[in-house]
Amino acid sequence: MKKQGVERLIQIEKRIKEIAEESGLLTTEITFEITTAQRVLEGMSYGFPVNFSHWTFGRDYEKHRTIYEHTGAGIPYEQVWNFDKPKAFLVETNPFALNVLVIAHVYGHVDFFLANRYLKHGRSFSNVAEEARNASKRFKEYEARHGQQEVEKVIDAGMSIQWHQDPDPFFEEQDEETVRERLIAFERAKLERFEDVKSKFKKSETQQEIEQIEKRLERLSTKTPPEPTYDILNYLIKKSPKPLKPWMIDVLTVIRNQARSLAPNRKTKGLDEGWATYWHVRIMRRLFEEGVITPEEHGVFNDFHSGVTRENKAGFNWYRIYLSLFENIKERWDKGQFGREYEEEKNAFKHSRWDTAAGLGNQKIFQVRSFYSDRMAVEEFFTDEFIREQQLYIWAGLPTANGDIVYVIVEDNPDVIREILKNQFTYYGVPLIRVENGNYNSQNHLLLRHVWNGYELDPKYMNATLEKINHLWGKKVFLETRVDDKDLLAMFDSERKKK
Amino acid sequence: MPIIVSEPVTERGRKDARRHREKQREAIIKKLPEIIADESIITQKKGRVIKIPIRNIDLPHFRPKTGNESEGIGQGDGQPGDVIGHKPAQGQPGEPGEEPGEDYIETEVEIEEIIELMLEDLGLPQLEEKEVKELIVELGYKIGGIVKSGPWPLLDRRATAQEGMRRFWIFLETLKAETGSDEFICFIALKQAGGLLEKAIEIIKQNQLTSKESTIIPFPVFEADDLRYREIQQDTENQSNAVIIAMMDVSGSMGYMKKYLARAMLFWLVAFLRKLYRNVEVRFIIHHSTAKLVGEEDFFRTGESGGTNCHTAYELASSLIDTEYPTNRWNVYVWHFSDGEDFDPERTIEELGKLIDKGVNMIGYGEVQPDADPDWFKNKRSGLWQKFKNYFTLKETQDNGLGIAEGDKDLPLLCVRLMEREHILPALKAFLRKDRWTQ
Repeated sequence: MKKQGVERLIQIEKRIKEIAEESGLLTTEITFEITTAQRVLEGMSYGFPVNFSHWTFGRDYEKHRTIYEHTGAGIPYEQVWNFDKPKAFLVETNPFALNVLVIAHVYGHVDFFLANRYLKHGRSFSNVAEEARNASKRFKEYEARHGQQEVEKVIDAGMSIQWHQDPDPFFEEQDEETVRERLIAFERAKLERFEDVKSKFKKSETQQEIEQIEKRLERLSTKTPPEPTYDILNYLIKKSPKPLKPWMIDVLTVIRNQARSLAPNRKTKGLDEGWATYWHVRIMRRLFEEGVITPEEHGVFNDFHSGVTRENKAGFNWYRIYLSLFENIKERWDKGQFGREYEEEKNAFKHSRWDTAAGLGNQKIFQVRSFYSDRMAVEEFFTDEFIREQQLYIWAGLPTANGDIVYVIVEDNPDVIREILKNQFTYYGVPLIRVENGNYNSQNHLLLRHVWNGYELDPKYMNATLEKINHLWGKKVFLETRVDDKDLLAMFDSERKKK
Repeated sequence: MPIIVSEPVTERGRKDARRHREKQREAIIKKLPEIIADESIITQKKGRVIKIPIRNIDLPHFRPKTGNESEGIGQGDGQPGDVIGHKPAQGQPGEPGEEPGEDYIETEVEIEEIIELMLEDLGLPQLEEKEVKELIVELGYKIGGIVKSGPWPLLDRRATAQEGMRRFWIFLETLKAETGSDEFICFIALKQAGGLLEKAIEIIKQNQLTSKESTIIPFPVFEADDLRYREIQQDTENQSNAVIIAMMDVSGSMGYMKKYLARAMLFWLVAFLRKLYRNVEVRFIIHHSTAKLVGEEDFFRTGESGGTNCHTAYELASSLIDTEYPTNRWNVYVWHFSDGEDFDPERTIEELGKLIDKGVNMIGYGEVQPDADPDWFKNKRSGLWQKFKNYFTLKETQDNGLGIAEGDKDLPLLCVRLMEREHILPALKAFLRKDRWTQ
């Protein structure tokens, strides 16, 4: 990019920041780095500006590159990180108008980072970006010392379970002894209550209960984990009998920290993109009206914008659907289309023309961006009307006689679609699995339990994942789950590679 | 300053993408039986690049089992029942992200690369250029270099004369050094001595010069060592030729699958042999009660009824070898595809024996039985298979369901029983192993 262009971009960025602030968006100093497309694609694929080497990152890099080179889906080369000092990329070869669009879009994201409670939490851990940068150097040394394959195996294993975190994103982690003491104190308190009344009512049931509590107390003194934990990686890091070498623990800790800091982004991806898109439309319009960008540039912007937000007949375009969602919420709350009176209005004509001039739209969308996750948004705002208006449907690929596959719309019932979306967003595709026992069979076997929510685990993936866990645990790994409505105890043993 | 221009960065993405690609290669190896049996690969005539749909390698993780993977949410005009997309059975799925369907990308792989992968998978060393099989072919004799001994008629006068002149000047210099006389005196003495050095020295020392020469005229002087003869050499040439003589029984009903199996085997044989030899030819023979040479198109198309005399094909192959592909100049591979029926198996064995005696590299017998039940192999062996087995004392083995019969390693005969696509890879493996190990 020419110096002149950079200077103009700096001026425009200042104006965008002012507009954002006038509109009520939270802002902070954002570092925009002008760089190559490749750098941005790397950034998108590696989670952080600089991260350790892994083939999954390379795979995603390749995939992003192919998609952007061939389809132009998404906003080409937009990448911004949820750091205390947010950082974003601009691509030197992008059209000028596109870089302006990216800056406007990034201001939307940054407001979301600063305000949304999940993303605030994502920043509360450590300086993960700096950690990632340093890890890339350390991991390289590990590769030199222990071999690329050995390091890869540990990274593979760690990443295969990285998203297994406590389902409550705000869960405060406690060490095992603290948990044990808490549980013991709890049982003791129960026991004391019995002791008070023991002399007066020496019923046999009471005696039984006392014995049970005493048994539980005895078990609690050695049980690991004292109560089931969903943070599988954390448990392996702390308790693996393998034992894990210090470098392995380092690798796994880095992976866990990264996953924890990125998890909030996964929970809010739709709202985050919708919000940024909602604001870039408005900011770009202002810039055009003020003459800051030329009609030609605004035309270029419009082209990109409509590309990004076009319908995907076979997919869920976050940019389009969540942009529409914010627009829909704003309109409804501006017109007062909410609350019991509105919901219960039987007259369809009145219902659709409902307008109390409440003017609460802006307030409502800011509230949504602060407190909602994608799942909550689906539950509350994906109304029948919205789903119909968006023309969402379920498609399926059906084989024909000659072997061709024909893709057919099979369902457009809003209830079904909402249900499917909700399920997709429940734990974001990560089934709930918790560590029950780290000394199963009294032989340091690991017992995991799949918390049943009606969905079976994919058996191929399940066995392969157990193999990965076994690599870190070193001893037999068991998983209680259900297959065909029957309980199943799956097992992986490196010596017998058999379920 | 909020906007900064950054420095160029590493190639990390590309490097890690390569590692992913390596893992995909590993996955391709696992899928080889499917891939090489894929018709779209076999019928591909031009262009050595094929497209293989490969899923991105996924890191294992616990995930819910979805009933139908080919299902999803979409957006746009339409009612239940409306078609929104279409994917042909084989070949070209849509652009990534454009069409519904599985999340895979098409990777282009060169046939060469697949062959390398197969060789790797077979545990065979990668074929280097130097390992190309060459035959030394004797073309006759030719007069080649020059040597110091030989029969008189082959004396090379020109070369010998040159040596003689060289000798003259050496002697002249020696005389000058030995006697201290001037060049002219030495010349006269050497001339007078008839070229004998010892005698010339004596002449000078005893001052017996009698010659009336007036100027130095060099003349050749010969010692035994100076004679040069022309050499007769054997004329040879390094050639790297191979021919595959493909023979097929077209007497029975040539079902689609039969043709397909034969075609797949031949395609891959040719592809492999092209790695081994610089020049590979393929000839086609079909037979029922009689045999004839045909072109490739007819080979796969013809279906005739009538009796079956396999020996006619072997006879025709023999005469083809005699007239066009002598085994001293050609590496000859013979492949016969048949359903096993033969009216005169004794004669077939006789003709097959003749081929072996001619020194062909390998004879492959592929019994193509796609419709037979799997136990047919155990219970009621076909005529030809059984005859071959008994006569050549072949040992039967199995590899991934493929029935194989082969003799000891000096016998260039391999029998395989092709029943389904999955048999092609083990058949090729067996063939290549045997071929390489008998060398």
